[in-house]
Amino acid sequence: MSTDYTRQEMMAIATGREIRDGELAIFGVGLSMIAGYFAQANHAPNVRAMTEGGVYGATPIGGMPWGIECNRLAVNAVSFTNALDALGCLVASGRCDVGIIGAAQVDKFGNVNTTGIWDGEIGDTFRPPKTRLTGAGGANDIASGAKRFLIMVSHEAKRFVDKVSYISSPGYLDGGNARHDIGLIGGGPSAIITTLGVLRPHPRTREFQLDAYFAFSSVEEILASTGWDLKVAPDVRLVPEPTAQELATLRRIDEGGMLRRA
Amino acid sequence: MPDNKLITLPEAVRRYTWDGMQYASGAALPVGSDAIAFGRELLRQKRRDLHGIFHCNTQQLNLLAAAGAVTRAECGFSGLEGFGFANGLRRAVEQGRLALEDYSNLSIPLRLLGGALNWPFVPATVNIGSDLSYRSAFEPDSYPNRNKIPLVTDPFSGQQIGALSPLRPDLAAIHVTFADAEGNAIMLGTEWSRFELSRAAKRVILLADAIVHQDCMRQYPNLVRIPGVIVEAVVYWPFTAWPQASPGMYDVDETHMKAMNKALGSEEGTLDYLRDYVESYVDVDSYLDLIGREKVAELSNGATRFLADPYRRWLLPHADAVALSAEATA
Repeated sequence: MSTDYTRQEMMAIATGREIRDGELAIFGVGLSMIAGYFAQANHAPNVRAMTEGGVYGATPIGGMPWGIECNRLAVNAVSFTNALDALGCLVASGRCDVGIIGAAQVDKFGNVNTTGIWDGEIGDTFRPPKTRLTGAGGANDIASGAKRFLIMVSHEAKRFVDKVSYISSPGYLDGGNARHDIGLIGGGPSAIITTLGVLRPHPRTREFQLDAYFAFSSVEEILASTGWDLKVAPDVRLVPEPTAQELATLRRIDEGGMLRRA
Repeated sequence: MPDNKLITLPEAVRRYTWDGMQYASGAALPVGSDAIAFGRELLRQKRRDLHGIFHCNTQQLNLLAAAGAVTRAECGFSGLEGFGFANGLRRAVEQGRLALEDYSNLSIPLRLLGGALNWPFVPATVNIGSDLSYRSAFEPDSYPNRNKIPLVTDPFSGQQIGALSPLRPDLAAIHVTFADAEGNAIMLGTEWSRFELSRAAKRVILLADAIVHQDCMRQYPNLVRIPGVIVEAVVYWPFTAWPQASPGMYDVDETHMKAMNKALGSEEGTLDYLRDYVESYVDVDSYLDLIGREKVAELSNGATRFLADPYRRWLLPHADAVALSAEATA
């Protein structure tokens, strides 16, 4: 089947649709920033966006920023503060409505690994990873404190594992009430949005199950691309395709074409 | 006439650093406001076995790690944001030459705040429940680790909470946009954690893109988040953060960011980089020549240039700032 948009674009639009107008929101660099600013430009003009460096009121110009401190963001901010303020006072405190984070690996309880890839389990001795990744960054703080957060990740079996080898950012840990029991304030991941569909947590077990698939994917493809025995929601549905307006808006945000390269 | 704390970069490294020290730097995330010029000088003076405290990895830590000068590091984030993985740091970690202790972008400033306030620990509702708590590169055989971020009981609610250890680095080399000769400083862009860092470190050295007359600080005292009373010395070094950005002063040098990170991905590339971009200049002027005067002009003319406009009337001319540095060093 052919479409006039990429899987990455569908993922960004589906993620953006999760953001509601007026929310206090925090975005990281890259994909999550595109999805967040897409929401702001498309249907949530009063989203109160910030970055973890404490850059407020800014909208990127001249292409997607290469970082939080990028001149493309620093150029029209109304306030610069600091990490204690943004990630602490506004996120870890429990005030932030929604955050968006990425993942190298995610498991069935929405735990995220961005620290490293080991060959097999790490074991009792913390040996160096075969491949060192970028670490937790602000994602751990967002995952710990935000009222809810969204995980964006490319849907491949090697990334969707039964149990991540290292939890960089907590999802529902072992499921059930584990998050609350350990003392985490935030509500946990409300959705995993992938290049194939959308997964949401079961209300009691907190195990992620397939909630929806995209027009170019299928339940079968998603099951085959997931490394655990993914359950399918009884009312699994098709995600509406991007409207012409959504695509046009997204492409204005993604003027460098980051999402069209795949 | 205020105190003159301006000294040259080589003198600052000679006076305030030693092998094995706990060295803190890095500033506003990986690609902005990093005092990397200080890191280059650490390498020129062959400092070894450093314990790096970097809120985020930067090109500075990437370089120091690639060159083998850092054996332990603590970070909240260890990539290069839009520029991908930090190849030098990554290589050092994967080869077991550098023990990287992972925290998050909030827990590092919280630990600095704890050090600044001389608290025994800092209560935390982040990092708990994750492997940032249970795994320690400094105590690799202890799993699940109970010493890195132990759980304690909140005496008011009876709830469990994480206890973060405070940080008190031996030295912080901090990038600022403007400093006067006494060490009062203004930062444009996000502070990231430079406020807490300046209070947590046992000693503070500023690396300033520009030196301003003290009247500038008297005009904007609210913006002076690092006052001279906590600063040992000031180094005047334009393009301190290059190839990273300094809002208001210069944009990121994308070409060099990529070329540098590529070079640091191999032993051979690292040696070439050290030869070409660490050992190859003798002073500020030849450093700017190395970047290239056309490139300097181009990067200085970025979209955020207007942020520095209110301060321009107080800028000391380049020659005067250099002369002041020589005077105090002599």
